[in-house]
Amino acid sequence: MTGLLQGWLVARREMLERIRSKGLWAGTAIMLLVVVASIVVPSVIASDTVTRDVGFAGTVPSELPAAIADQGRAVDVTVRVHRYEEVAAGEEAVRDEDVDVLVVDARRLLWRGEADERLRAVLSGAIQLVAVHERAVAAGIDPDELLALVAPVPIENEQLGIAAGRSPDDEAAAYVMSLLLLVALATYGQLVLTGVAQEKSSRVVEVLLARMPARNLLAGKVAGIGLLGFAQFALTALAALIATIVVDSVDTPAVSGAVLAWVVVWFVLGYVMYAMAYGAFGSLASRTEDASSVAAPATTVLIVGYWASLVAVGGDPESGWSRLVSLFPATAPYAMPGRIALGVSTWWEPLVAVVLMLAVIAGLVVLAGRVYAGAILHGGATLKLREAWRGTANSTR
Amino acid sequence: MLEFDDASKRFAALVALDGCSFTARPGRLTGFLGPNGAGKTTAMRSVFGLVEVDSGSVRWRGAPIGPAERMRFGYMPEERGLYPRMRVREQLVYLGELCGRTSSDVGRSVDTWLERLGLADRANDRVDALSHGNQQRVQLIAALVNEPDLLVLDEPFSGLDPIAMALMAELLADVATAGATVLFSSHQLDLVEDLCEDVVIIDHGRIVLAGSLDEIRAAVPERFVEIRYRGEAPDWAALPSVEVVESREGEARLRITGDADVATVVAIARHTPEIVSFAYQPPTLSELFRRAVAA
Repeated sequence: MTGLLQGWLVARREMLERIRSKGLWAGTAIMLLVVVASIVVPSVIASDTVTRDVGFAGTVPSELPAAIADQGRAVDVTVRVHRYEEVAAGEEAVRDEDVDVLVVDARRLLWRGEADERLRAVLSGAIQLVAVHERAVAAGIDPDELLALVAPVPIENEQLGIAAGRSPDDEAAAYVMSLLLLVALATYGQLVLTGVAQEKSSRVVEVLLARMPARNLLAGKVAGIGLLGFAQFALTALAALIATIVVDSVDTPAVSGAVLAWVVVWFVLGYVMYAMAYGAFGSLASRTEDASSVAAPATTVLIVGYWASLVAVGGDPESGWSRLVSLFPATAPYAMPGRIALGVSTWWEPLVAVVLMLAVIAGLVVLAGRVYAGAILHGGATLKLREAWRGTANSTR
Repeated sequence: MLEFDDASKRFAALVALDGCSFTARPGRLTGFLGPNGAGKTTAMRSVFGLVEVDSGSVRWRGAPIGPAERMRFGYMPEERGLYPRMRVREQLVYLGELCGRTSSDVGRSVDTWLERLGLADRANDRVDALSHGNQQRVQLIAALVNEPDLLVLDEPFSGLDPIAMALMAELLADVATAGATVLFSSHQLDLVEDLCEDVVIIDHGRIVLAGSLDEIRAAVPERFVEIRYRGEAPDWAALPSVEVVESREGEARLRITGDADVATVVAIARHTPEIVSFAYQPPTLSELFRRAVAA
């Protein structure tokens, strides 16, 4: 009971102190901005029609400007037409970037540098159409009949993706979720690391540990940062959802509620596992500035684990490798939600992965607790893991 | 009552505590003395479970100490430490709440202590905005917020100016008078001699002297004569059973060797032409300390 109360008090302090710091709000604002911008900006760019300036010189078939306007409209290109009496004047306009391209005698396209592919397609399509029209008239064929004959058959494009029955949207969702989990675990793991190192270097930890066991302090800290982190992430996800609905982006990954629930589960499990490791490493550092280098092993596992799961699941989510990384605790937080999103995991695989993960967490709580207790009161240089483990650490006076 | 019973602790090759036995009693100030590295901090940390003794035991009111007992203890570590960016009052209330007290209850204690130590107007400042002296006061309040039954302070007088030292001494005496057991370490032997009823001296992890200061002094057969005089310094060394410890212009400290003998004292007095003051005393704490540690 006392342990729970103390743990809660520690967690509450962690949250209150961070909520009051400008850093948290700045970080949240930047995260929201990046997420919202990454959804809104592409859709704004994509939906905006482009305006291009086209110059004409020499012979210009009377139907050509209208045909170009038609073709352009089909691909969201608005064409403004300019006429030049002399080819040289037109070339000058191209060089001065007054126009994007000069059409000479409806046969040559003069660009300043490389051709704009979209505009080139619009222009050549229109020129072909006008030419066919002219030839039909010359051969006495009803041009409209001919155009109906040569009208293209619509061809459908379909993306198969890497797993049967799943769209690339699901793949995108799986990819985004793994990435978000990496960012979340790294960010909040780092907060635990520096939090522990700061308490050690400011020496307040001795005052705290005189009134409560180390496990209450560490558990409370991990819980407080985790809750706050979860809230921050939920807020970001909500902002992303709202932004998606507002801009009605077509390529929003369709994520089911069940998949989201699993992401939450893996966030919690992955965070607790890595936070325990970071807490233990943080206690070894003699100064806050050294904490990151001391914790390099944990960070390496975190990042290499992400790449391993990305390579395995991104390559073939049903391979033996993918199964392995989605069950292995260090990589499971990235690989398992991805495989669940792709619908390739069997019903029992996530459960086995959760059980394995819980076992590792239980082991880490004991191991990290011992390292932490052995190292946190040590005054001198940064400790080695082995020294802290043996508890030879607090050999002061 | 706090009891150390044959407590030992070893860190690799270093023996920090070697069969320590002593007690600190309620309502009294116990001074914990010893050279640097003697084991004082290790002994104090073992009361709070920050160090676990390898053998023997540390007991409070006759029972082993657990987390519940520690919530009734106050501790000021040698390495002072607080959250530098947290506000003074909020931090103290937090530390009190960790001892199981409600925030309103602990808030009242904190306000009383802040008022008493002249920090009431700094209650909402960040700790790192305070002067070194004021931070020390906040650190002291941190040890007192739960109105502890046992107060343990590691070098509470180090780094204090004379005024702060007097304030600290008065405060510790008050806490003890109110019924708490107070154990503190110090190198300021004169201060301990004035302040403490009991002393414990530790050296190389072993308790070399422990008990009430009065009893310890009474048990030592040796006596000293502290004398001030006018005129020329007499030749006391010529007297039997007298050894000159210290002699300066107009004052001297003499040791009476062998059994304290009234005749010797009278002889010294007779030998001195014009006495300003004359004191017949047991050894000072400083002398007891040097002898205990040298043995």
